[in-house]
Amino acid sequence: MFNTRPMSKLLVVASKDQLDGIVRELYRHHVFHIEDFVETEEEGYEGVKIGMPLPQASAVSTELLRIRAIVSAFGGAPSDVVPERKESVSALSARIDAELPQIEAEVSELIDRRNHLESAIRECETKISELEPFVPVQVDLSLLRGYEQFSVLAGHIPAKVELPVPAETYFSGDVSGNLLIAIVPNERLNEAEQFLFEAGFQSVPVPGEEGLAKDRIAWYTQEISRLRAEMEKIDELVTARKDRHQAFLVACDELLTAEAERAEAPLRFATTDTTFVAEGWVPSENVEALTAALRSVTNGRVFIAEQDFDPVNDNVPIEFDNPDFSKPTEMLMDVYSRPQYAELDPTLFLAIVFPVFFGFILGDVGYGLVLLALSFGLRRIITGDAGAKLLKVIRNASVSSIIFGLLFSEFLGFALPWEPIGINRHLSIGGEVHGHGPDVVLMLVLSAWAGILHITLGRLIHIRNARRMYKPGKHQNKVVFGQAGWILVMWGILFALWSMFELPLMPSFTGLSPIIAGMNIATLLGAVMLIVGIVAIGQENSLELLELPTVMSHTLSYARLAAVGISSVAIAMVVNYIAIGMMIEPAMQDLSLMGVIFIIAGLIVFLLGHTLNTALGLLGGGLHSIRLHYVEFFTKFYLGRGKKYDPFGMIRKFTED
Amino acid sequence: MAVETMTVEVAEASARGLVAIGAGLAVGMAGLATAIAQYGIGTAAVGATAENKDIFGLVLVLTVIPETIVIFGLVVALLLLF
Repeated sequence: MFNTRPMSKLLVVASKDQLDGIVRELYRHHVFHIEDFVETEEEGYEGVKIGMPLPQASAVSTELLRIRAIVSAFGGAPSDVVPERKESVSALSARIDAELPQIEAEVSELIDRRNHLESAIRECETKISELEPFVPVQVDLSLLRGYEQFSVLAGHIPAKVELPVPAETYFSGDVSGNLLIAIVPNERLNEAEQFLFEAGFQSVPVPGEEGLAKDRIAWYTQEISRLRAEMEKIDELVTARKDRHQAFLVACDELLTAEAERAEAPLRFATTDTTFVAEGWVPSENVEALTAALRSVTNGRVFIAEQDFDPVNDNVPIEFDNPDFSKPTEMLMDVYSRPQYAELDPTLFLAIVFPVFFGFILGDVGYGLVLLALSFGLRRIITGDAGAKLLKVIRNASVSSIIFGLLFSEFLGFALPWEPIGINRHLSIGGEVHGHGPDVVLMLVLSAWAGILHITLGRLIHIRNARRMYKPGKHQNKVVFGQAGWILVMWGILFALWSMFELPLMPSFTGLSPIIAGMNIATLLGAVMLIVGIVAIGQENSLELLELPTVMSHTLSYARLAAVGISSVAIAMVVNYIAIGMMIEPAMQDLSLMGVIFIIAGLIVFLLGHTLNTALGLLGGGLHSIRLHYVEFFTKFYLGRGKKYDPFGMIRKFTED
Repeated sequence: MAVETMTVEVAEASARGLVAIGAGLAVGMAGLATAIAQYGIGTAAVGATAENKDIFGLVLVLTVIPETIVIFGLVVALLLLF
């Protein structure tokens, strides 16, 4: 619960002729997290090398490439294929040999035709863009080329010019950039070109076409639409093929991926000339089954040993081990970082406290119901492991939101038919006063309590971690005293405050009689705690003393629980007031055409406003609650950076043995 | 003339108005400060995440640190108003 799954380190040694069987068995069990072997020059490792892939590796990879090429030609992501039935591996292997070449040929033929059409369309488009400048020319284009004594200059020019040489010219301002065509005698060509260059002339090639430019463009446009239609037909054929073969292709992909992973596994093992060594991690509960399976597949010709390891310094892969209730919250942990093997896994705390914080911020029955509906409704759209977990986290949070909403007596910013229980968050907006206004101070004090307890818990966990992770001795003591110091400083300040001020929901020691210099016993106790605490922090690391203000700032940061919540109520009530108080109600009193429009506008404001506020509430409630964990809570103890447990093998969706 | 029309009610009303202005300033200016701080961190965070998306959790934490400033502003405003 508070520990990650216990792991064992296994060493598997066997001769190379057992390699295939052992790899197959490891893959099938899907529990062995391979520790990659790195070649080293160290003593004792002479002659030990990274292994070679199994002989079938390259053939399998080539086949896999072919399948992926077909899949990408179909343009469909295999992830959206829902498995209907599982294919048996042997049948599938036979089908790969029999059917794949044919499918491949079909697809490549279709794709070739498609590419051909595509390039034809592109050619037509180029032609059209070449012809476009010549649209105003009312002469057959073939007349603009093929002269021996004359040269034709055609191009864009900023303004009409008179050439200084004898020339036949044509100018049109109807096309963008204008068009100038000049036919000049060859012997004066250089002179003309020089003049035109200075005038900003940009030459365009004369299209090698017959007939009027306008007619040719019309012809090419028609040609493009004909080609497009043909392409659509091919696309339909591709889609039909895709639908027919997709199930087969994803199954092949899965089969061959597994095959390729198995074939490449020796690259992660250490090998000598005749033996190989596979080192890896297995959840302790699976060790026995895996060992037995490996022994039986090799007829006992394998050496398997459980090795000792250092839970702190060895980078043990981490698999969460949580009760069902806190499983979805693992997703929020993964966003931050997995815990280390020896440290406490705070997922359960997160799973309990996160919804409470969320509900306290967004305590509204209406919004809670909307989010609850969303978390169920989006299940079809958001698939995948992390997405499903996130939806469950939102579900838990929205249930908490509904419970708090019942306490706060809130429904989309309206009051429910009872008075708020404990805390009143109703504001006086639009002159409607509910009771005595919101209990801001009460909420702030409650938030502060949440902060004090949360942070103290964090420090206590740090002490527990230190006792688990460091060897008993000077270093461990330093850390433990340092953390105790932080707790003392915080509670010392609290004692001092309680002896000076009366605060709601907090103990008060103001009544105690003063002992020395106007200070009573609680003040003195607080001062002593503060000083001892500072000394304890300083002995761990004097630089940490710079962090002392965070005792205040981190605790006060929990005030967001109250503040963000009240802002959300305020937005809801303002929306209600604008939509109902200012638009719908006045219109209802005196119903006219204008009134109906006002009512509709009011409804739109109501819907838009509450949609916005739901989104804000989800963001605000979620982000602020998670932030309080990541920043204020985790920084007190959490190391993280644990390596994810990623066992060798795969979860098969489309194939079975 | 202002002095002549200054009754107790007017004084009270303007005092309430000043409180509201103060509350608005507290939230608004704290919000601006947070925005300026998050602008820099957020830009860098998005860039860093684009390079290596494993650090998303870490940079999210760094980005939301300045949020505390505006929360303090909001708390001050709420205490002023209620």
